[in-house]
Amino acid sequence: MSQQKILIIEDEKDMSEAIKLRLEANNFTVIAAFDGPEGLSLARSENPDLIILDIMLPKMDGFRVCRMLKFDEKYAKIPIIMLTARSQQKDIEQGTEMGADAYMTKPFKSEELLEKIKTLLAAKVPAGKSS
Amino acid sequence: MNLDNNNNNNNNGNNNSSNEKLIIYDIRAKIFWAIRIRYAVVLMSIVMLVFALSSRIPLGLTFVLVGWLAVYNSTIYLIYLGSRRFNLFSLVIFRSITELVDVLTITSFVYMSGGLESPYWFLYLVLIVVSGFGFYSFASLSVLLIAMFSVIFYLGLLVLTYYGVLPTYGFGFSVSPHELLQLIFNRAIFITVSLFLFAATIYYFSKLLAQHRSELTQNNKVLLAAMEEMKETDRLKDEFVATASHELRTPLSVMRENISLIEDGIVSATAYKGKDLLKVARLNIDRLAGIIDSLLDVAKIDARSLALNRRDVDLVPLVDKAITTLQPQAEEKQIKVQAKLPPQVLVWVDEEQILRLLLNLIDNAIKYSDCGGKVEIGLEAGEEEIRGYVADNGIGVAEEDQKKIFERFVRLKNGKTSVVKGVGLGLSICRGIVELHGGRIWVESRPGDGSKFIFTLPKVGT
Repeated sequence: MSQQKILIIEDEKDMSEAIKLRLEANNFTVIAAFDGPEGLSLARSENPDLIILDIMLPKMDGFRVCRMLKFDEKYAKIPIIMLTARSQQKDIEQGTEMGADAYMTKPFKSEELLEKIKTLLAAKVPAGKSS
Repeated sequence: MNLDNNNNNNNNGNNNSSNEKLIIYDIRAKIFWAIRIRYAVVLMSIVMLVFALSSRIPLGLTFVLVGWLAVYNSTIYLIYLGSRRFNLFSLVIFRSITELVDVLTITSFVYMSGGLESPYWFLYLVLIVVSGFGFYSFASLSVLLIAMFSVIFYLGLLVLTYYGVLPTYGFGFSVSPHELLQLIFNRAIFITVSLFLFAATIYYFSKLLAQHRSELTQNNKVLLAAMEEMKETDRLKDEFVATASHELRTPLSVMRENISLIEDGIVSATAYKGKDLLKVARLNIDRLAGIIDSLLDVAKIDARSLALNRRDVDLVPLVDKAITTLQPQAEEKQIKVQAKLPPQVLVWVDEEQILRLLLNLIDNAIKYSDCGGKVEIGLEAGEEEIRGYVADNGIGVAEEDQKKIFERFVRLKNGKTSVVKGVGLGLSICRGIVELHGGRIWVESRPGDGSKFIFTLPKVGT
């Protein structure tokens, strides 16, 4: 089985780097984008298996990126984990409304993140890669 | 009634013109009420005429009077319909004329129905009530005028009757001239006193009403403004909680991830990468400490408990120190930081706080400047105060935001700023520090043309 590809859209480079190291150690291929539009175009061109998406991003926020992907049939099946430092209930609700598959609040436990990634990827495989 | 549909422009303004609108609206409403009442009187009179057929009231003249009232009222109604664009002055004149004609008509009515013996003098009271009760203070004056005219006309009627100039249409009981004089005299006093007392009462109440109304309107405005302000504060607080949460959690999560990468053995602590991770974790601890300091400072400034440790301080080396501290940030963005300083600027301040002020201002200038920009710091010593400034050629501040940026938690939303990290406390701390020293701080800026933050500090403490 080839390595699964995960896209991290996160403007905090240190954060992105740390997650990348963690995921690579768990046999994922990781690509990173640092703002909204860049993330969107990478998601479209690389067609990753899963996206980790921060909310407070420069130029275009995570909610919008999420919505644009989820409303596009071609990419709607890519699971999205929203990762954010905002923890207010209304943010979480907004994220779920936009179609995010999971929501994690910083600081998160790496094991929980890995767990979520694995669950979402496992759920995705039976549905088949339609693209 | 579509005639009253202009009541939506009543009391939401806060200046003279809206007050005038209110008065105009009120006068028109009253004119309209008077029109309705006059029509009611016309109808009532027709009914009463049927019962009066047997009396000695001259039927022909009474019909003329009722007809006159109907025609006169219809004319007023037409003018009223066209009065929407009348200004206050012409409206007041219009209303005064109708009131005068009303008094005349009532007097004729009284005369027709028996003059001295007629009970219809109470119509004067009705007119006074209808014309009184204004929501504006000077309206109530017209009540006294009406009372005066009523008394003059009524007394005139009595006098003319006494001298036989006007025939009497009384119900017919004979009195001697002496008794008639007595009756007329008594009635004159009675009517004069009643009407004026009544008018005075109405005048008093309508003045009270107008006064209370204007007080209520005023209070309403104050309350509405306060509510708006609270809403805004609430929104800012929400925004602050979200931002502060973000600012506190981001470094925490970086620290946690980096450390657990080493702890889990994914990266070795001794490897170059491992050292890098630890360094990043340490930098984030510093960042977190800085944010917490700002938050605590703001809390202290809010509680006015930031104690100033004032000494005579030369600001020139202080500025140099601030520039040196921020040199790395400036070099990263290739920003040239220049200082225009006199040899010495002595002022009685808290050195630590002023250094923080300078650091905040210069740091902001660097943050909000484009790469390769220029930041200039200057000090000028005046007679009583010293004036300092930090100018950049960055994105600038829009005029409507120039006051707001010194408020707590305010971060402007104009696209570019989202690149810049911060909780929105820096400038509010700056203002706090300057104001605690008895100085002022403000910004001069044109968007796209850079900003100049200027502060003053009194030479001797306040």
